[in-house]
Amino acid sequence: MRKILGIAMGAMIAAGAVSNAAHAEETVIWWDFLSGGDGVRMKQLISDFNEQHAGEITIDATTLEWGTPFYSKVRTSAAIGEAPDMMTYHASRIPLAVSQGILSEITPDDWQAMGLSQDDYAPATWDAVTIDDKQYAVPFDTHPIVLYYNKDVLAANDLLTEDGKPKGLDSREGFEATLKGLKDAGVDYPLASTTADGTFMFRTIYSFMAQQDGELMTGDEFLAGDNAEKLQNSLEVLAGWTNDGLQTTYTDYPAAVALFTSGKSPLLINGVWEVPTMIDLKDQGKLFEWGAVEIPVIFDHPATYADSHTFAIPANAGKEMTPEKHAAVLEVISWMAKNSLFWATAGHIPAYGPVTQSDEFKQMEPNAAYASVTDNLVFDPKSTLAGVAGPIYDVMSTYFVPTLNGEMEPAEAVEEIKYELNDLQ
Amino acid sequence: MLRNKSNEALVALLLVAPFVAIYGLIFIYPTIKLFIVSFQDAPIIGNGPFVGFENYTRLWGDRRFNTAFWNTAYFVALTVIPGTLVAFAIALGINRLKGRLQALVLALFFLPYILPVSVVYLIWDWTLNFQFGIAMHLFDLLGLERVSIFKNTTWFMPAVAFVTIWWTCGFSILLFLAGLRAIPAEIYEAAALDNSSVWTTFRKLTWPLMWPITALVLMIQLILQLKIFDQVYLFSIGGRPNDNLVLVYYVFQRAFQYDQGGRAGAAAVVLFLIVIIVSVLNFQLTRLSKGRG
Repeated sequence: MRKILGIAMGAMIAAGAVSNAAHAEETVIWWDFLSGGDGVRMKQLISDFNEQHAGEITIDATTLEWGTPFYSKVRTSAAIGEAPDMMTYHASRIPLAVSQGILSEITPDDWQAMGLSQDDYAPATWDAVTIDDKQYAVPFDTHPIVLYYNKDVLAANDLLTEDGKPKGLDSREGFEATLKGLKDAGVDYPLASTTADGTFMFRTIYSFMAQQDGELMTGDEFLAGDNAEKLQNSLEVLAGWTNDGLQTTYTDYPAAVALFTSGKSPLLINGVWEVPTMIDLKDQGKLFEWGAVEIPVIFDHPATYADSHTFAIPANAGKEMTPEKHAAVLEVISWMAKNSLFWATAGHIPAYGPVTQSDEFKQMEPNAAYASVTDNLVFDPKSTLAGVAGPIYDVMSTYFVPTLNGEMEPAEAVEEIKYELNDLQ
Repeated sequence: MLRNKSNEALVALLLVAPFVAIYGLIFIYPTIKLFIVSFQDAPIIGNGPFVGFENYTRLWGDRRFNTAFWNTAYFVALTVIPGTLVAFAIALGINRLKGRLQALVLALFFLPYILPVSVVYLIWDWTLNFQFGIAMHLFDLLGLERVSIFKNTTWFMPAVAFVTIWWTCGFSILLFLAGLRAIPAEIYEAAALDNSSVWTTFRKLTWPLMWPITALVLMIQLILQLKIFDQVYLFSIGGRPNDNLVLVYYVFQRAFQYDQGGRAGAAAVVLFLIVIIVSVLNFQLTRLSKGRG
């Protein structure tokens, strides 16, 4: 009996010691939706952070399903005070989140505590997290789409410029000449486009609209004035490529990537987040010489759609965060921003200026080849209907898929899209 | 012997209380709440101002609701009776087998039923993928043009209906088999002595005797298919979601993507009423035709 008591006493003392240590250490509950090649790199960053902050702060991270499931979960958990301490968030989703009151403001004091400021960010990126002059998230990166290309095939057909980029990136005629050149050389599908996935094609189409200074939303109206025409122009270009057999039809996301990496399509328009896929394949000796550049200028001037991964702090209903915990969360965000050079290996362009201005970043390939894109970025319109996996996406997708695969006329699609978007409000 | 009536009632109450409590908490209360929310301009969480019947009247002008309504009706037409007939036919076939072979074949037909919907989706996506699907190589072999099944409104609902029947008919087969085994062998012996043909035996004996089971299967299928969602949602990803809407998908969109709890609530109430009306009608109809048979 005495022995058992002794063990119990020992256990209690041990438990006490552990809980004392826990008092000094803050655990930050973290949610993200990064499950691809960039997820692996994020896990590396988290474990580096935990190592450097041993005994002070631990990040307890969970990766959840991207898109609607993630945002529904955040919405419902914040409402009952069970949201994490911090999470990744798409800048495009911030207007909706703010209208729902589920994000905490990042106050001027917070920015100061993190040692970050507006000067550290590109104006478009800063603007993307700002609603009514208040910031609701800390941008971590921007992730535009880019044009991936197969150097071997292009070189063999004399379609590379002297500095090793595809020919004809500066005009519609030029780019189409490159596509046709590949077609003539016996390539079945010169460009791998995600034509079966309208939500994905939104990025390309919105970029082409922006190249004509087109806007999706002016005031509260969708596609007002000649914006509808600009959308139609963009759709016509892409539908034309399908009709001429220059790009893949009914191709979903994994298939598009597979067509490129298997060498069947020498060109691919896709997000920078596929860079890790290429790097990893290349390291295993399974990929040709490849490169990535800013998407071609089809209309008047360069412009590329981008979104931004940010860090946000949920406004947990009825559950105030302790000052210690808050400080820990800010330390995590600040550390991540300042150590985001490694995040660039995931293809993304870090949002924190001092990192992108560093010599190390400037020498990183392929990021350096498309770093120019930072000056030409356009973000989603600021609307509660916008954002990845939002209502605008569904409407667009429904009409993009038939249009880009030759089942519907672009003019008809634009008319329907205009009607339906305005009907959403 | 004297029985203590009040004591008995107390015991009965005590025994059913846990169930009633849970039933009230997770069914009755949310249902009442749903009706209340459907009259409010509410977000997905919490209440909003009362707006009367506005959420309901808006449904009629909403062409997405219209799409959802007709797609659901179309899907029910494609699955309920065809699915029941397929299951009945397979059950008749299996019933003719004996012993281990019968168990094996039954297991093979039942196997898809245990798969989660995401696995079903992946299997059929791999099969029918436009670029890399196995079925597309068959199309090529036969010299047919490839069809992008799930991105095409003509093919979408029939394809999802086909997948659904493939996935769920195992359970109906089990019910039919149980029914077939309950028919006494003597009846068939008597029919055989009377020189009844296979077709006559089926029409005059098997079919009427199996009618209660058939009615049950029809009923289960009907209620299940009116609530179709998961397959449609998964196969729509990235494709043409607004053309493929079904009622539950519409509710999901309104609630979780548009943050319009009130309008989602109204649509859910309409679906709820449709399910009740259709099942009562179906029940009465099957009862009537049973009386006649």
